[in-house]
Amino acid sequence: MRTRGAILLANIITGLALGFTVSNIGFGDYTELNRMFTFQDLRMLLSFAGAVVIIVCAFALLRIRRTPGRIHAGVVPGAVLFGTGWAISGGCPAIPIVQVAGGYLPALVTIVGVTVGIRLCRWANARYFHLDRGSCGL
Amino acid sequence: MSGYWPWWAGAAGLALITINYALTTDRSFGVSSAWDRVLHWRRERRLEEMDAEFADDRALAEALAAATAEHFGTGPSAPAVPPGAYGTPQPLASDAEPTVSEDAPVADPGPAPLVTQAALLVSIFLGGLIAALTSGRFHLRFDMGPGFHDLVTADPITMVVLLFVGGVLVGFGTRLAGGCSSGHGLNGCGRLRPVSLVATAVFFGTAVAVSFLLWKVI
Repeated sequence: MRTRGAILLANIITGLALGFTVSNIGFGDYTELNRMFTFQDLRMLLSFAGAVVIIVCAFALLRIRRTPGRIHAGVVPGAVLFGTGWAISGGCPAIPIVQVAGGYLPALVTIVGVTVGIRLCRWANARYFHLDRGSCGL
Repeated sequence: MSGYWPWWAGAAGLALITINYALTTDRSFGVSSAWDRVLHWRRERRLEEMDAEFADDRALAEALAAATAEHFGTGPSAPAVPPGAYGTPQPLASDAEPTVSEDAPVADPGPAPLVTQAALLVSIFLGGLIAALTSGRFHLRFDMGPGFHDLVTADPITMVVLLFVGGVLVGFGTRLAGGCSSGHGLNGCGRLRPVSLVATAVFFGTAVAVSFLLWKVI
């Protein structure tokens, strides 16, 4: 069991490294993002896919547990909504933060939208969807 | 585009971050999950307080079970441990789920403390700021760059509306799907979780389709 301080330090290091890396790859640049999604430039796609390949190999070597995960009813519709929003706004939940840090002030609106969407998901799930854990922060 | 890292550097960077986090915390990280917990901080703080209380009960139950096993000379059977406030174990937990080596004893560390999730979000901002400043890309601006201008809209009002709607879709969609590009994409696919592989294929495929629409049709 890791101490609270160690987990805090790990999250600070991870956040700093993630923001630095994602920004330098170009994920905060809408032009680069659209070029990735339309396969005009494979650089960012290879960055992401290459990272996944390295992680899969490393986790296999380190014998990190393959955790189960049920494909629940919210996965596909949620992913469709997320993919649509990502292509339109250029932001997955970390990217608008990086965009603002890079000077793109309108990305603050994206952040507001993300926070509204997250709160809306919990509300809608409690009221309408009634999905179990794995969705909407449950 | 000049100034950005080559693909292999980006891949190595993202992989190192994910692997390091798994090794140092026994957990996965997920930015949408961090957002979710920080935004619902009152509920999360209450759960943490309840979990701390349950931890005392668990320690007592485990001590009793160990003492019983020692006294009767039997192996430690599964004690009747009361569940924590987070309901550990969490078989269907979202992208911030704990992970341990498969050889390690099953000791669920539970979700990362709330304050660490807030620190993660703030640190992402600082990391992005350092990158923008050191690379010379930092430039305060009131638009989203030439790509957004050409492909989506040049009208400032429409831009604000679309960014808000896109943000809502991202926030709602990631939580409904139980993760985002970091939780499902890096951590989940890295662990070959079926749910993460499906989610990543769907959100990436959808983003490709919508991007082609923006590029070629709209």
